[in-house]
Amino acid sequence: MAYFLKRFSHMLFVLWAVATILFFMFRTMPGTPLAAFIDNTTTAEQQDALIRQFGLDKSLGEQYWLFLTNLMQGDLGQSFFFKKPVVEVVMEVFPNSVILTLTSLIVAYLFGIMVGAYLAWRRGSWVEGLGIPLVLTTRAAPEFWLGMVLLAFFSFHLGWFPSGGANTSGSDWTSSWQRVTSLDYLSHLALPAITLAIYLHGLPLLLMRSNMLNVLQEEFITMARMKGLSTWTIVIRHAARNALLPVATSFALGIGGAVGGNVVVETVFSWPGIGRLLVNAVSASDYPLAQGAFLMITAVLVVMNFIADVSYNLLDPRVRVETR
Amino acid sequence: MLLEVRNLVIDYRATRGRVRAVDGVSFDVPAGAVVGVVGESGCGKTTAVRAITRIMPSSAVFAAGSISLDGKDLVQISDREMRKHLWRDIAYIPQSAMNALDPVWRVGKQVEEVLVDRGGMNRKAARTRSEELFAMVGLEAKRLRDYPHQFSGGMRQRASIALALALSPKLVIADEPVTALDVVIQRQVLDTFVDLQKQLNLSVILVTHDISVVAYVCDYVVVMYAGKVVESGPVADVLDSPGHPYTMGLYNAFPELGSDDRELSPIEGSPPDLMDPPKGCRFRLRCPFAIGDCMQDPPEHFVGEGHVAYCHRASEAHQLRHKAKRTETWVGVTTE
Amino acid sequence: MKHDKEIYIPGRGIHFLSSVSRWLVSASAIPRRDPFAFAGLLLYLIFILIALFADSLVTHNPREILFDNNYDLARNLPPGGDHILGTTYSGRDIYSQLVWGSRGALLVGVTAAVWVVTIGTVVGLIAGFFGGLTDTLLMRLADIALGVPFLPFVIVLAAFLNPSQWNVVFGIALLLWPQSARVIRAQVMSLRERAFIEAARATGAGPWRILFVHIAPNILSLSFLYASIAVGWAILTEASISFLGFGPSDSVTWGYMLQDAYASQALGRGQYYWFVPPGLCIIVVVVAGFFISRGYEEILFPKLKD
Repeated sequence: MAYFLKRFSHMLFVLWAVATILFFMFRTMPGTPLAAFIDNTTTAEQQDALIRQFGLDKSLGEQYWLFLTNLMQGDLGQSFFFKKPVVEVVMEVFPNSVILTLTSLIVAYLFGIMVGAYLAWRRGSWVEGLGIPLVLTTRAAPEFWLGMVLLAFFSFHLGWFPSGGANTSGSDWTSSWQRVTSLDYLSHLALPAITLAIYLHGLPLLLMRSNMLNVLQEEFITMARMKGLSTWTIVIRHAARNALLPVATSFALGIGGAVGGNVVVETVFSWPGIGRLLVNAVSASDYPLAQGAFLMITAVLVVMNFIADVSYNLLDPRVRVETR
Repeated sequence: MLLEVRNLVIDYRATRGRVRAVDGVSFDVPAGAVVGVVGESGCGKTTAVRAITRIMPSSAVFAAGSISLDGKDLVQISDREMRKHLWRDIAYIPQSAMNALDPVWRVGKQVEEVLVDRGGMNRKAARTRSEELFAMVGLEAKRLRDYPHQFSGGMRQRASIALALALSPKLVIADEPVTALDVVIQRQVLDTFVDLQKQLNLSVILVTHDISVVAYVCDYVVVMYAGKVVESGPVADVLDSPGHPYTMGLYNAFPELGSDDRELSPIEGSPPDLMDPPKGCRFRLRCPFAIGDCMQDPPEHFVGEGHVAYCHRASEAHQLRHKAKRTETWVGVTTE
Repeated sequence: MKHDKEIYIPGRGIHFLSSVSRWLVSASAIPRRDPFAFAGLLLYLIFILIALFADSLVTHNPREILFDNNYDLARNLPPGGDHILGTTYSGRDIYSQLVWGSRGALLVGVTAAVWVVTIGTVVGLIAGFFGGLTDTLLMRLADIALGVPFLPFVIVLAAFLNPSQWNVVFGIALLLWPQSARVIRAQVMSLRERAFIEAARATGAGPWRILFVHIAPNILSLSFLYASIAVGWAILTEASISFLGFGPSDSVTWGYMLQDAYASQALGRGQYYWFVPPGLCIIVVVVAGFFISRGYEEILFPKLKD
């Protein structure tokens, strides 16, 4: 329990620190934030009004305090571009990122874990010799490039999948759930998810393989063999169970990293997610929106780090039971 | 005779070449007897004894020999065939139960696993039986719900014993079962083990480097050095009237279990490199009684009923024993 | 290379530099042993040479818009003839762009790697060696750096500062040092006790001297390991930033090529000869880094051989 609280407060600390850095970064960057609104026709009066509206006339300290208090109430300001609360805009697209991230991670991890365990079992064979460099190649390739190649081939060339977005424009849905589970959505999800899965599977694969190799050397595995237990029991029920712990933790970390890192894949496939929102917001100098999107991504990252930390404690009986 | 090991030869493939860890080892295990296999670390005792289960590191090679359990040669049969014997006929108690249990499984579940998967029991029967087994080794039934790391060293060894006895095997191989424990606990666990052996009339092979454990527990003893058997026979005979200088030296090197008022003198030097073993008797470089003849392979000498020693001077054993009891004999041997 | 648990203890009056050069000699033994590390180093060497001699290797000016004999724009030409890899939508020679891109890649990659590893190593050394408040502070800083989403941060940086390749380097240096710092810190902490004992016996040297002359050479291998991975990371990041349109528009990098191709609908036109090669180049350079680091990792953290 003490550990949990410690990590939780640490998480809050990091969130605060990053939010602060963000605040000062956005405020002190060169390029006035109102550049989007100000052109030759804006009068000095209008400029002043705008400045007051966005609170830019106050001192930096006051602005910071406002920022923090608003943040804690869930108010991230108004988007310049959409003229809507940032929170609204962000939450419209956030689920798409979550779906994309979770889908690709789950596929990547399931595949990576199984193949990783298999490669460990087949140590020293040609399968390993070929497989490892292949996996390293997938980690070395830019994800967006993978996306581009897949897009060019499977979408433009073969026409099997749509080329962008999350839904065919003009379609109508009765509910969010229905929209998200529709064939249309899924066919749009397919290519970006596959792209990400190819990119992401390397980590669980290599990690699982490495863990399995270590576990298979352990004495309890030898004892299991001496007991005459079946190969399946030994490899899966004992070795894999032990080897999985760190991989499970890395899954949580993977979610944290992926939501932000998906930016490029979302761009290639025009997937309406939070990463793409950030890019568009930044390009349009819509800095409340950019700030909001960034904060959201950060929050996911930091929270998932925290969950990863704590979950290891829960999953490993050696640590968990101590606290009885 | 329950188990007969004849001329067992086992090599290890190392990067430098082949190491002959076990070079023509033979011994017998009568039904219901406790046979101690004693020697320094690296003498091949663990290898020889593990070979009976055929679960060896992948670098190990069965070069020659036979292992017969109830007349059936275990070396020749297939892996599948051998698997049938594992744990049901031959069980193993590892040296340090620290890592011998799966850390993420509850101990009780690991006992049940063996009973269900290999003993064909149903869950309920396995439950009952595991409680019985724990009671036999002096562990509380509620401990079955714990994880291995919650057990002390002594408890873990007891659990290992319980596991080994789960399917009522004919033969139990105990590899240094108490070495890793502290002295007081050693005695306790050994006592439990000895009681069980007597109760169940188990046949046991007990591997150890500590001759006082052999004295305490075993009926027969096989003394190994550098991959070879140097002496074997009934325990009382071998320890009272050792026929091989190494056995004589071993006795001086270890305190009696539970008492330490005897003067200790370990044998100087270290065992030879088995990649390139010395010609003839392998002990000659550390032996205070070595003579020119020792450059030839030592012959088998019958010291007594069922008691053999492999030494050129075994016929003089009587005089050598007196000298061996004096610590000065053993000092400065390797510098000559 | 140091054996198992020995620390490399230089003799009296030895300078940091000569410790380093001694280490370099032993470090070069690795490629001889591991074929992958060897391949990796070879690939790096090839790319460095290509980058150095790019001027001579290009067939055209990579930025020059080309016209054919009819004074038409030489656009979207397939590979063949004058153009080994064809031309882009704006009539530029793809092969020349590809060759030229190696310069940008290596420049960004190496600079960023040097920065990340230097910061990481220094922080790791100081935190691990001095411990206490310094350690806590530095590790808190590391936690914050790890809490910032990497790509979004570099995007914001690149957008608000003037787009240039150095933003990528800056972003990488700011955010990626914690990984190497932590590992080096752990190593330093385990070496610290022993180094003190040895050094105290040897020269009665002060803490800074112990740190840089006795401890540092032993962790240089770790630094090198991270450097070889960091180069790959930097190149990938630069590519991503350029692809998103936040890179400098005046220099031709592989990322720029990919962005150009995407924006010019090369995907729809199936111009694989345009957008596949830059990606392949990136893969080769990054994989080379992986191979090198794996080769050294085997030595630093030897796995049990069966």
